[in-house]
Amino acid sequence: MNCQDFEKLALALARNSLLDNTTREQGLTHTEGCELCAARLAEERALLARVRAVVAELADEEPSARVDAALLAAFRAQTAATASPTVIPMPSRPRHWSTWKVAAVAAGILILISVMAIFWRSKNSFSPRREEQSVLPTPVITPQAPAPKQAEPMTGRDQVAVEQPKNLPKRVRRRASVDSSDEAEVVTRFFPLREGEDLTALENLQLVRVELPGSALSEVGLPVDPETANEPVKADVVLGQDGLARAIRFIR
Amino acid sequence: MTKPMVPSDAELLRLMLAGDEQAFTALYRRHKGHIYRFALLMSGQASIAEEVTQEVFLALLRKGDRYDPARGSLTAYLCGAARNQVLLLMEHERPYVQLVEESDDGEAIPIAQLISRDDPLGDCTRKEANRLVRQAVLALPARYREVIVLCDFQEMSYAEAALALDCPVGTVNSRLHRGHALLLKKLRAAVMPDSAAPDAQGMRCFA
Repeated sequence: MNCQDFEKLALALARNSLLDNTTREQGLTHTEGCELCAARLAEERALLARVRAVVAELADEEPSARVDAALLAAFRAQTAATASPTVIPMPSRPRHWSTWKVAAVAAGILILISVMAIFWRSKNSFSPRREEQSVLPTPVITPQAPAPKQAEPMTGRDQVAVEQPKNLPKRVRRRASVDSSDEAEVVTRFFPLREGEDLTALENLQLVRVELPGSALSEVGLPVDPETANEPVKADVVLGQDGLARAIRFIR
Repeated sequence: MTKPMVPSDAELLRLMLAGDEQAFTALYRRHKGHIYRFALLMSGQASIAEEVTQEVFLALLRKGDRYDPARGSLTAYLCGAARNQVLLLMEHERPYVQLVEESDDGEAIPIAQLISRDDPLGDCTRKEANRLVRQAVLALPARYREVIVLCDFQEMSYAEAALALDCPVGTVNSRLHRGHALLLKKLRAAVMPDSAAPDAQGMRCFA
């Protein structure tokens, strides 16, 4: 073994982590005949001894009780949020759609709207005008609700959660809640924004998806993680026919 | 009398993700010192170490299901997360905390220049000696510092360190060698700042 070979082993020899006995013996034998390599090994051993002294000195170093408390609070807040009483799995929107997919869907929607418009016009020309109640109002931004990211008419599932359940046959309602895609988003129950108002009595409700600061959770009594209080949370706001916000639910 | 069974990290993590507070507390107590000391040695600042510890466990709360026990220990996984956090925080705070000018290969202004020579106790005390080592470690480039902290200070195996640092085991090995050489050089300079301290390696024959 020459000095170069020894250099490769010096660290492992100093750390006593060389498993091969023969190689270790060869290395130690080399140090008997080479003062410089012996000095090199001694230097490595001294360094490790100093490292161990630092390790011993730091052995009791731990984060302060403030960190312990903050983490425990975060854990409890998360557990409380997850264990919300009426958690309904909802199909989530795909987050990363490729451009061509978006374009395809947009084209599909345009075609559908065109077909529906033609159908609607031809039907109106032959049949009496339907009641206005069947037409969904256009999205309205109320002072209570921040600017909506996107507006959407209520789907069957939303109606199950907000509208009068007895309006739907049982079979239809169950089907609506079971029907879901692979990805699911978790929502809280709806929290009424006006005290004493019977949400089920309202008609022509509209659901608007918005983003609010995390601190908004506290407005309805949900726990707020101080660390993420300023981070946006998604929420669905129920708008009444008059355009005023009536209820809200949060989405994870 | 039989010993009470100690739940594994994976078991505690599973329980924690299911909302078991005791499991979370046990897991936190088991690993908090390790993560805190890693961040402290890497950054040299207790405030950064605390912030890193908090961020690492918050991430574990939110994304703990991403940990795969088949890939390695939870300690290595957490150290990997801590390392990313430390580098991120130190990058943000670089304009405020940088004490040592260093070139890419770790050649730095001698640490001795940063240490008061008027200290009457000098390097006679154990504490001072430890401080020198810690200063020398802090003066290393991050890629060498992290390997030395994990393998020497945390006594992690090369394989675990490789997992934490997301690099091959061979890289850990070579960086540890290079890191030790730099560390020794810095310590020599700290002890004998005015002399060109010879290193054993420089005078050996590699024929």
